[in-house]
Amino acid sequence: MSAAFELRGLTAAVPGEKAAIRLVEDVSLHVHAGETLAVVGESGSGKTVTFTSALGLLPKPGRVIAGQALLEGVDLLTLGPEALRRMRGARIGMVFQDPLTGLNPVFRVGAQIAEVLRAHLPLSRQAARDRAVELLARVQIPDPARRVDDYPHQFSGGMRQRVLTAMAIALGPRVLIADEPTTALDVTVQAQVLDLLGDLRDADGMAMVLITHDLGVVARQADRVAVMYAGRVVETGTVAEVFAAPRHPYTIALFRSIPDIEAPPGTQLAPIAGSPPEPARRPAGCAFAPRCFAASEAAGCHATRPPLTGTGHAAACHRQGALEIAA
Amino acid sequence: MVGHVARCVGQLAVALLGIVTVAFFLMRAIPGDPALYMLGDFATTEALAALRARLGLDLPVWQQYGVFLLRAVQGDLGTSVVTGEPALREILASVPPSAALAVAGMAIAVVFGVPLGIIAAVRQGSAVDVGVMLLALGGISFPVFWVGIVAILTFSHALGLFPALGATSEPGFWKGLHHLALPALVLGLSVAAYIARLTRSAMLEVLGQDHIRVARAMGVPERRIVWKLALRNALIPVLAVIGVTFAWSLGNAILVEAVFSRPGLGSTILKAILARDYQLVQAGVLVLAAAVVLLNTALDLLYATIDPRLRQR
Repeated sequence: MSAAFELRGLTAAVPGEKAAIRLVEDVSLHVHAGETLAVVGESGSGKTVTFTSALGLLPKPGRVIAGQALLEGVDLLTLGPEALRRMRGARIGMVFQDPLTGLNPVFRVGAQIAEVLRAHLPLSRQAARDRAVELLARVQIPDPARRVDDYPHQFSGGMRQRVLTAMAIALGPRVLIADEPTTALDVTVQAQVLDLLGDLRDADGMAMVLITHDLGVVARQADRVAVMYAGRVVETGTVAEVFAAPRHPYTIALFRSIPDIEAPPGTQLAPIAGSPPEPARRPAGCAFAPRCFAASEAAGCHATRPPLTGTGHAAACHRQGALEIAA
Repeated sequence: MVGHVARCVGQLAVALLGIVTVAFFLMRAIPGDPALYMLGDFATTEALAALRARLGLDLPVWQQYGVFLLRAVQGDLGTSVVTGEPALREILASVPPSAALAVAGMAIAVVFGVPLGIIAAVRQGSAVDVGVMLLALGGISFPVFWVGIVAILTFSHALGLFPALGATSEPGFWKGLHHLALPALVLGLSVAAYIARLTRSAMLEVLGQDHIRVARAMGVPERRIVWKLALRNALIPVLAVIGVTFAWSLGNAILVEAVFSRPGLGSTILKAILARDYQLVQAGVLVLAAAVVLLNTALDLLYATIDPRLRQR
């Protein structure tokens, strides 16, 4: 079965003083219909850049310099601006991080949903409005016929994320990319929004990409996971595989840094020392080597960049063989 | 809504009182005697004193002020010492040509300024952007009286497209418009320059906001994003500035009227100041101030229709 959405060797860069600075490098991912792929990583690891690049939304002067973004077999990166616009919203939807700023403050939410519908379909004003009410009902907004005429500031954060979700699924896209959809929301609302996204995925058979830094969300929602670090995918596999036996030291460190409610009182968390390198200052070898507990000169961690190896469950680490014994 | 209107009326009253008070004392602070002006240098001391008494100028200034306020609230702004006509009627008679000039000027300013600002913002950094911003800089920097003279030399004298006089006694709407065109253009372009710069910066800010990124991700066409979704946000600060520039362009209108020998509030008030015609100056200032305050009140109400967040207060 071919993937609904697949990235192959995607590399995006901004012009630098000497050479182009690569924001994300050689990213390959895929997600099947009805499946959720979680993309995990720290802020600045390139999660968002990867998908905004694929959709042609990377702010200037950034641009994609290599790779393919295949949506049901069509490479989005080869499409002209108008053809790409027709794909966005219609075939591939996106939900962003901050629902508080994601809606236009001076238009009614119904009008904003209608704007999306009419960007792709020859609908009358009334028909678009009727569809907007149905969509609000689908994302479980109470009293949608009345709420359709409200403005964004009259909605709570969770409700606004539902409205944005309604816009993203308005045209029945095959792929839905959710970029930290719950990060800005109250904990109590997070689960509701995630459940809604899961339900919509199942009902429409969409492929879903869930960008998050919350491993709890990954465990709950995702089928497969890709861990990103410094613009590259460092580990990928099914959630079961990766959670049971993480192979990349970065993934292992991520798990160690999660608070454990069953740990004895007084147990210290194990944060990852240091911070990820900026895109312009990535080291020559493995980008994680300077912070890695397992890095060694002998394995060449500081000299050569490790390739992603393994079928199915794969990791990009020179020492993964040795680690499985150690971990 | 009722509360909002009541508050606006209250603000209007306070603003007008302040302005008219300043005008009252400023006129009396500058040297010059209306009685002397009317009767001439050879008038006898008795005649001057009699006239001063008739005009109420022999009273202490604070008493004159009291009398003025008391009459003003009853709608009586006194009579012009020069013509003997009621000051308010005299002023209102010269409002239409000035209003025509100001409205035409503002219309030109908005019609040129807003689209130019949008285009400059969308093509930020391009030759179009640089060109529009240079033009805008020129429009702000060159004084209207200079632009007015250059316009007369170019369009009236050299090209013969428009009359050099900004007004005509001949009847007919098109005739009047033909005479109005050049002064309105001169007045409007300086404001257009200002509005273009402001629209550009407001658009740039809005186009960088999250909701625009969302609209792009949903495949909304760029044309709709710029001219509908972003523009309505950007218009809020632009409207605010239109209110301020209106007061500024009323001042410029006086200069433009002088350059184009156009009748209007400008020439009426200028003559009244020179003649120390206190009543006429006060009435003129009051009418100008009322126009500015009323326009700003109208704009306040307009904000609420554009920005829903302002409605509930």
